[in-house]
Amino acid sequence: MARVGVFVCFCGANIADYVDVPQVVEEVKRIKEVKFATEYKYMCSDPGQGMIRDAIIQYKLTSIVVAACSPRMHEKTFRKALSDAGMNPYLLEVANIREHSSWVHQKDKKAATNKAMDLCRMAVAKSIANEQLHEISVPVTKRALVIGGGIAGIQAALDIADARIPVVLVERSPSIGGKMAQLDETFPTLDCAQCILTPKMVDVASHPYIELIPYSEVIELQGFVGNYKVKIKKKASYVNFKTCTGCGACWQKCPVKVANEYNMGIDKRKAIYTPFPQAVPNKPVIDAEHCTMLLKGKCGICAKVCDKGSIDYTMQDEIIEREIGAVVVATGYDMWDPTPYEEYGVGRFKDIITSLEFERMVSANGPTNGVPVRPSDGKVPKNVVFIKCVGSRDEAKGIEYCSKICCMYTTKHTILLHHKVHDSHAYVFYMDIRAAGKGYEEFVKKAQVDTGTTYLRGRVSKIYKKGDKLMVRGEDAQIGQVVEVEADLVVLATAVSAPKDNPNLARLLGISYDKYGYLSEAHPKLRPVETAKAGIFLAGCTQAPKDIPETVSQASACAAKVCGLFAGDTMKKDPMVSSINNEYCSGCQNCLNACPYGAIVTEDVAIGHGSKDLRTVAKINEGVCQGCGSCVAICRSTAITLAGFTDSQIINEIVSI
Amino acid sequence: MITLGTQGKNTFLDDVNIKSGANVLECYQCGKCVGTCPVSQYMDFPPREIMQMIKLGLRNECYMANSHWFCLTCSACSGRCPREIDIPAVMEAVRHLAINENYVNDSKKVKEIRKFHDIFLDMIKRYGRNYELRMMAEFNIRTRNLFKDMHLAPKALLKGKIPLGVKPLKSAKAIKRMFAIAEKLEKNK
Repeated sequence: MARVGVFVCFCGANIADYVDVPQVVEEVKRIKEVKFATEYKYMCSDPGQGMIRDAIIQYKLTSIVVAACSPRMHEKTFRKALSDAGMNPYLLEVANIREHSSWVHQKDKKAATNKAMDLCRMAVAKSIANEQLHEISVPVTKRALVIGGGIAGIQAALDIADARIPVVLVERSPSIGGKMAQLDETFPTLDCAQCILTPKMVDVASHPYIELIPYSEVIELQGFVGNYKVKIKKKASYVNFKTCTGCGACWQKCPVKVANEYNMGIDKRKAIYTPFPQAVPNKPVIDAEHCTMLLKGKCGICAKVCDKGSIDYTMQDEIIEREIGAVVVATGYDMWDPTPYEEYGVGRFKDIITSLEFERMVSANGPTNGVPVRPSDGKVPKNVVFIKCVGSRDEAKGIEYCSKICCMYTTKHTILLHHKVHDSHAYVFYMDIRAAGKGYEEFVKKAQVDTGTTYLRGRVSKIYKKGDKLMVRGEDAQIGQVVEVEADLVVLATAVSAPKDNPNLARLLGISYDKYGYLSEAHPKLRPVETAKAGIFLAGCTQAPKDIPETVSQASACAAKVCGLFAGDTMKKDPMVSSINNEYCSGCQNCLNACPYGAIVTEDVAIGHGSKDLRTVAKINEGVCQGCGSCVAICRSTAITLAGFTDSQIINEIVSI
Repeated sequence: MITLGTQGKNTFLDDVNIKSGANVLECYQCGKCVGTCPVSQYMDFPPREIMQMIKLGLRNECYMANSHWFCLTCSACSGRCPREIDIPAVMEAVRHLAINENYVNDSKKVKEIRKFHDIFLDMIKRYGRNYELRMMAEFNIRTRNLFKDMHLAPKALLKGKIPLGVKPLKSAKAIKRMFAIAEKLEKNK
């Protein structure tokens, strides 16, 4: 017969103020299986755990009920106390009388006490049917996949590789570097983005533990934590990277000119190109959409000038397969398209540009050699108006959230403008200045006081043309008057938006994404880098807009998580997983659809009774199963059992009240 | 409507900064000065708005405001300013610039305040210190309001709050010389 011990916690005043704890103890003592029941102020403290350990030995208890806070909080703590007393840790039941009773019924102590007693009775009844369970071991493939080669992916890959864990880094474009490679200087220190990024890019290319696969995309992911199989589509580059020396003869001679994505279309690149001079790998690819040879079969100049014979117009896309144990997703962000802002004349007036275009202009390796110019006439602008929150915090035209980085990059732009054009003046229309970060507020002060940037509080209502100038009208709420600024150039601080392909990628990886398309973390505060799917982690703006320091921190956090996952040869996992009774399974496969984790597959087993004929039954992959119980509920033939939540345990609970 | 970006360099800001020794650009428009100022509710534009107007180079609008005339230079604002800007000095600078450039608010209140300033300075010039009784009399005469606050006079006189005569300072002559030098400097400018 079961011998249950019940331990009721006061949680300081959290429970005791609203639940009559001694009464709960008296009530549970009446249950005949309960051989010991007591109360304590802080059950999770060392003396509290000691009471549990002592009682287990003294009263020869066979299962334990702790009535306290949520099991999410301290289940692990109490399981360990059971282990320490030589008891199977899974013989513990937690009755949540804090979140489920005292906190939500603060106005009615009697009802709260009654509910706490019911919860304890249920837990006792369930614990009587508890069985000894044992942790599951899952083998691990110690190789990580990093999707995206921006600063987040680079940092994650380097940190993982430095722990001597092989990394496969997949980047969609021909070079790693991402958005950061397009930046000139970075806030708030104004150090040059290229100078701090390109050495890291080179490290990635030369690291013995990193396999860099550029110009590729992940197209399939199968398996479960520690045991994923990934398929990567390597797009045809039409250049043999093994023999190419990156001499540049091909792109110098190529006659086709295409808008240069790296420079936001301000200048042209060739159809055979490297995105920028510091690209890694520094090998060209042919843009199949624009190459005359690939489109019409005429030209072939690049092949003629290449003395290594590296050009191969017959190259095909290639599928690469790798076995990996964990995934870091770092797909970055897209700049929001400001076209909906018709009142700003986006598209009608040439001298309205986006902040990334401005960034390219002021960049030393940019299309204008670091001097901002008006796209309409090429003149250097004197008065420049910066408009913040273009798309951000605009439910009507853009997105609800704050893009977080625009305040700071606009501040940086005003300072850079002043550096490049000394007699210029910057005006900033803003709603708030959000400068929360190390050295950020001081940076804004630098712009306002040292640079003399004029900040006008208000959203711009319209922009119209007057001669060759743009008149920018808005309110200055600080003096409560309408102001118009005569501007040579207008820069829109466009919002950060989720990459357009994120929903597709999320479906492919089996993870969730939010209404904006950002990939969802497992918990916004306590598990910010993990996804709900074990072994898949998030770094950088793919999760939410963030600046470089935060992105790098998150990437390093991902690396720590991956290293932790790979610390042993096998992974330990809670044993609360489903199992199939083949005798009962009818093979209807409803559970396959019910499982949100893709943990259920089918297998063919012998019918039995000596027959060699096969029939199909469901099979659960313990490594993937998260123990949610969806399959148990949907199974018509009760063939599925969830360890720790068996039918008899659940029925006991229900019967007890 | 205010149009910006057409005047070139903001000379007004430079003038105020040089004259006051403060840096108006330091102001980040928190409004603590406005809440602190005992007379801000009587001003056309409270101190925070004056600071923003200077930043935007709105010279005439700023001159024509009554704010700098109402300012008591009590320094409560600068005492509490998180950026430690000497706001009374800025107000003083605007007053000077406004007089020098003959751009002064001509409302009755401002006229009275200016007369009060003139009479007070006149007292200092004559006696090296303030002669309250004469000052009050002159103010009432010059503002053509002879009986203003007269009902308070008997009580104040009896309590000795307003001495009947004045004893000029020993250094009154030196103070007169200071005035003379200042006037000469002003003329030569």
